[in-house]
Amino acid sequence: MLKSQDLSSRILSFSLRLAGIFAAQENCFQYLQQGELLPTLFGEAGPLGGAAWTAPTVRSGWVQGLRTLARHPSALRFLAACGAVDTIFSLQGDSSLFVASAAGQLLVHVLDLAMRGPAEGRRGPRARDWPACAQKIVCHIEDSLCSAATPQVTQALNVLTTVFGHCRGLWTQGLWVRLSPLVARLLEKDPVPASHSLVDLLLSVARSGPRGAAGGVGRSSSVLSSDRGLWETLAQTLSHLSPTQAGPLALGILKLQDCPQALRTQAFGILLQPLACVLEAAAQAPGTPGLLEGAAGDSMTVDTLLSSKSACVGLLCCALAHLGLLQPLPQRPSPWPQVPLLGAVVTILRLCSGSAAPTSDVGGRLCAILVGCGRVQRAALDFLGALSQGTGPQELVTQVFSILLEYLMSPESSSMVLKKAFQATLRWLLSSSKTPGCCDLDPHTQQFLRELLPVLQKRLCSPCWEVRDSGLEFLTQMTRQWGGRTGFRQALLASEVPELTRQLLRDPESYVRASAVTATGQLSGWGLRATPASPERPGAQQESLLGELLHILSTDSEGFPRRAAMQVCTEWLRDGRADVAEDPERFVAGVLQAASRDLDWEVRAQGLELALVFLEQLLGQRGSRCPYSVGLPETAPPGVLAQALQVLCRVQLFEFAFRALFDCDRPVAQKSCDLLLFLRAKAASCGSLQEAGDSPSVASVEATLQRWQAGEQGQPLGYLEPGAIVAVLRSVDLEGLRDTLAESSDHVEKSPQSLLQDVLAAVGVLGENEADCY
Amino acid sequence: MPEIRVTPLGAGQDVGRSCILVSIAGKNVMLDCGMHMGFSDDRRFPDFSYITRSGRLTDFLDCVIISHFHLDHCGALPYFSEMVGYDGPIYMTQPTQAICPILLEDYRKIAVDKKGEANFFTSQMIKDCMKKVVAVHLHQTVQVDDELEIKAYYAGHVLGAAMFQIKVGSESVVYTGDYNMTPDRHLGAAWIDKCRPNLLITESTYATTIRDSKRCRERDFLKKELCILLETFWERMDLKAPIYFSTGLTEKANHYYKLFIPWTNQKIRKTFVQRNMFEFKHIKAFDRAFADSPGPMVVFATPGMLHAGQSLQIFRKWAGNEKNMVIMPGYCVQGTVGHKILSGQRKLEMEGRQVLEVKMQVEYMSFSAHADAKGIMQLVGQAEPENVLLVHGEAKKMEFLKQKIEQEFRVSCYMPANGETVTLPTSPSIPVGISLGLLKREMAQGLLPDAKKPRLLHGTLIMKDSNLRLVSSEQALKELGLAEHQLRFTCRVHLHDTRKEQEAAARVYSHLKSVLKDHCVQHLPDGSVTVESILIQAAAHSEDPGTKVLLVSWTYQDEELGSYLTSLLKKGLPQAS
Repeated sequence: MLKSQDLSSRILSFSLRLAGIFAAQENCFQYLQQGELLPTLFGEAGPLGGAAWTAPTVRSGWVQGLRTLARHPSALRFLAACGAVDTIFSLQGDSSLFVASAAGQLLVHVLDLAMRGPAEGRRGPRARDWPACAQKIVCHIEDSLCSAATPQVTQALNVLTTVFGHCRGLWTQGLWVRLSPLVARLLEKDPVPASHSLVDLLLSVARSGPRGAAGGVGRSSSVLSSDRGLWETLAQTLSHLSPTQAGPLALGILKLQDCPQALRTQAFGILLQPLACVLEAAAQAPGTPGLLEGAAGDSMTVDTLLSSKSACVGLLCCALAHLGLLQPLPQRPSPWPQVPLLGAVVTILRLCSGSAAPTSDVGGRLCAILVGCGRVQRAALDFLGALSQGTGPQELVTQVFSILLEYLMSPESSSMVLKKAFQATLRWLLSSSKTPGCCDLDPHTQQFLRELLPVLQKRLCSPCWEVRDSGLEFLTQMTRQWGGRTGFRQALLASEVPELTRQLLRDPESYVRASAVTATGQLSGWGLRATPASPERPGAQQESLLGELLHILSTDSEGFPRRAAMQVCTEWLRDGRADVAEDPERFVAGVLQAASRDLDWEVRAQGLELALVFLEQLLGQRGSRCPYSVGLPETAPPGVLAQALQVLCRVQLFEFAFRALFDCDRPVAQKSCDLLLFLRAKAASCGSLQEAGDSPSVASVEATLQRWQAGEQGQPLGYLEPGAIVAVLRSVDLEGLRDTLAESSDHVEKSPQSLLQDVLAAVGVLGENEADCY
Repeated sequence: MPEIRVTPLGAGQDVGRSCILVSIAGKNVMLDCGMHMGFSDDRRFPDFSYITRSGRLTDFLDCVIISHFHLDHCGALPYFSEMVGYDGPIYMTQPTQAICPILLEDYRKIAVDKKGEANFFTSQMIKDCMKKVVAVHLHQTVQVDDELEIKAYYAGHVLGAAMFQIKVGSESVVYTGDYNMTPDRHLGAAWIDKCRPNLLITESTYATTIRDSKRCRERDFLKKELCILLETFWERMDLKAPIYFSTGLTEKANHYYKLFIPWTNQKIRKTFVQRNMFEFKHIKAFDRAFADSPGPMVVFATPGMLHAGQSLQIFRKWAGNEKNMVIMPGYCVQGTVGHKILSGQRKLEMEGRQVLEVKMQVEYMSFSAHADAKGIMQLVGQAEPENVLLVHGEAKKMEFLKQKIEQEFRVSCYMPANGETVTLPTSPSIPVGISLGLLKREMAQGLLPDAKKPRLLHGTLIMKDSNLRLVSSEQALKELGLAEHQLRFTCRVHLHDTRKEQEAAARVYSHLKSVLKDHCVQHLPDGSVTVESILIQAAAHSEDPGTKVLLVSWTYQDEELGSYLTSLLKKGLPQAS
């Protein structure tokens, strides 16, 4: 086949990979070697020199083939003999990112393979003891590091990053000792070449030691002695790189478990610097507490901030994101400058909204750059939300609430900014009243709520669906947490928010309708109704809401609101809401009837969830060990079971469950199977129940089920006797069905036999429709 | 040297998983974010690690643009925005924004719930992703930031499909997405300005096909068109057999075609005024129970590859009867039942070791509306790009089209594979303002400006407050607060002459006087000679007494005359008679 003239590049690539898989076994490798197949594929005589090599897929296949093949000493000798290492060197600079990256990884793999092997233990850090292949690779890396061409330096740094990230041998220490001076020398160049890759490498080396955050292997004391050099290099790199380039390195250093305090302070300073500059530039009066005492106003950072809009936005967003990532970590710097950080974020948000009035020249220019900048607004709101985990003086918290309110009210705020403002507000509200044992809100929060709810009200009427939806999501979360707090309840009931939420059940946008259903469910769960219910009929409102939910379930054209309605119904049943508990049978029957006809599989699956909750309420919980084990600890007496089955028949749960058992959507069938197995186990635990045996009723049910299984679901099951149900449950092979359903729907297509059929059939396929996708 | 860089992460010499990174004047844009139907492992989504390697995704990318709602163009979007962590803006047209989440939901359903895949995006993620979308109108210039702007053009293909022009300063790239240059029954033809972009990135699915227009009209129906056709045919033939739509998807798609009627073609729009063509009399929603009803019927069911869901269920029921027929509406991925029956298999192993014998007739019809080779050439001609880059096609076919484009339009054409970067140097045009004073002076000198006859304009280029202006030298001095300096050029000419310096100068004077009749040549009392502003002095040679050195010096205004004089003197003086 390889001799064919018009061999397609895809087939050649596949052959290279396939040969690699075969040759990974040493005996197979020998066999292929005897047939001279490997040199034909991977050597000079192969596609290497030919026209096929121009196709990236062939080069990729070559690299992948060798990557799989290189697993034993014979493979290593083969690589050396056929000159593959030189080809890999050149492929590092391949025009295809994929090939170049794979070549770099292959190089590391070959180096690791060469350094492992029988003499591994004796291979110390001295490179002259290393095998020739490894020496060659290391020399290549050294040359690349000294190269004046940045792409070559990048390649070398990337290879080394992979080495220290993945290889766990003593030899890696020797490698670092040998190469670290060359790496340090890169810092002498201006600008520092391949700074991003350099940062990755230094962090990879720092993490690979016992001090690293990722743990890593233990190292001998000889390597620890070189730590000082590493920390020095890290410190130098921090000071040599531009503020934007140094950010990721600073964050990486601060994430390390164990590194010198001086370095941590330096790194933290890098992250704080942009915010310190903003704070200083916007300070209204001298003496305002800064972020970095004495060091604020670093000229390089100020220059970057003022050089152009994109540089300023980029630097601020990076700093905010990095600090946001650092904030929740246990190893974050301590003391954490919560107060100045809060001050800085509030200032940035004010600069962006145009509400700040800086007096300094730098402040004025920053204001001009940042005003209306959505990207910085989003990043700052994210970080502001993260800062809610800490505390701050009341005055500052008031400022936080006031800027959040400003953003929520502002007509300039985009929908994404509003979403983030809602999220940050939620986090601040929840953290501001975490006082244990206190069931009400403090006066400040109460005041804020009074101001917030009219804004929420306005946002729920926004013409933009994204905003209405974010508002409803916020309301749901708030109610879930605070539904029981008097202050919240009073404020909410005094507003028009509950009424508006209810109106949004008819929103034209389905996402909004779904969120409104969830929010209404949550509100009504806490008794937060639009208007006070009449004292004579406490359930009247709820009932009409139930009617509304059933209406949504049976008429809404979109799946999301119907799914949300099913979830609310299930929650109501689970929590035993008084009005549902009055007549649960009617409730369950109504909901199941609506769900059984639904076209959306998630609604049907949710219907089964509701059915299961109902079953558990009638018969007791499912066992936690194994849901289907016979002889559950909580067994129901026979009388209870008979009654329960009567109830289940009345609500037509069996009709629903058996239909679902043969549903075309696998998860629905799976869920139904679980439910029926649970029921059968319960029935088995009280054997005295009279079975209907061979009664005509059983026979007709079985016949109907067979038709359903065959796909004819037109016929109803009709009225069922409990005895017949138990008999049918025993006769249906539920375990068999469960096993079949456990396999993914394409398991048949994935089987080797199916693949073979496809391959054979492919011979006769027309080429015309190949690209005729989509 | 500024440059435009393009790296396809998907759709490079391939159909599926469209995802192209474009870097233009320091701005990074991702064009489409699709999935690959042929894979259910890591390869189904583009490999985004190549972007995350260069830092945080949101910091690196300025925006994402989605051309249309097909999953091979938007299927990876929730994964990219909610799981990989892109938090920036996503641009698409309004119909795409409306239909996209429906298809993403369907894809999620099949991936997670049919195949049992864990770690897939959720419905909430789809919603959160859609909240990041900024809808754009056709021909509306959207300012992504101060420097980057985008503009959408009508692309045909499917409802809401758009081509996008991405512009930073004077550099621009046009991305076509999928498009169709021939109007069909319900959508118009793609159209773009003569915007002369630096680069046109075009799809090339049908790079080697040229479809004759009649056949094209009969074949290239979209699903909605079939409804229109069937409805008309049923009406004319007075047929009674029912036509059903199976679940949601198609019904919803119809709903959106109704909603976005202005996006459809003119004929449909006209008809819509009298009667909404999309309100079908014979076509109704399908219920599972209908599949068992006796008598003939037509059912539109999804998914189209028969790999799951309603269509597979109906297929199983009807496959055994030779009176039935299934029409496969497009390409089927290997592994699906659709692929098997199209390749001729008649016995299918189904779940639970059942064997399904397929006796029904199996037909294939293409329903995709892509531009053919002629259409692609037409679009290139329309946009007049400086370079063309082909994506979304097969390498062999691309090669053919590439040659054709290069021959016909004399522009460079590229076809990078996935992961390959194409770098195009650009020469940005820099706007320069001209002072009124300078213009007036130029006008005073004579001719009125004429666009067809460019004229040379001399002035001083100054940069002030990041703006470039061309002003007169006097004004430049004034504005920049500089003093004027005179710059003189000096040249030494060796003259073979044994006489004294004064005599040599006299000889030079008389020679020039005789040659330069139109110029003012003077012999000054100090012995030096002047021609206009040019000064010539004779001096003795320090080493060779038989040689005299002539020092010729002139101002830059008399550069021409100075050079001429020097060359004249270098030829030597005529021998004294």
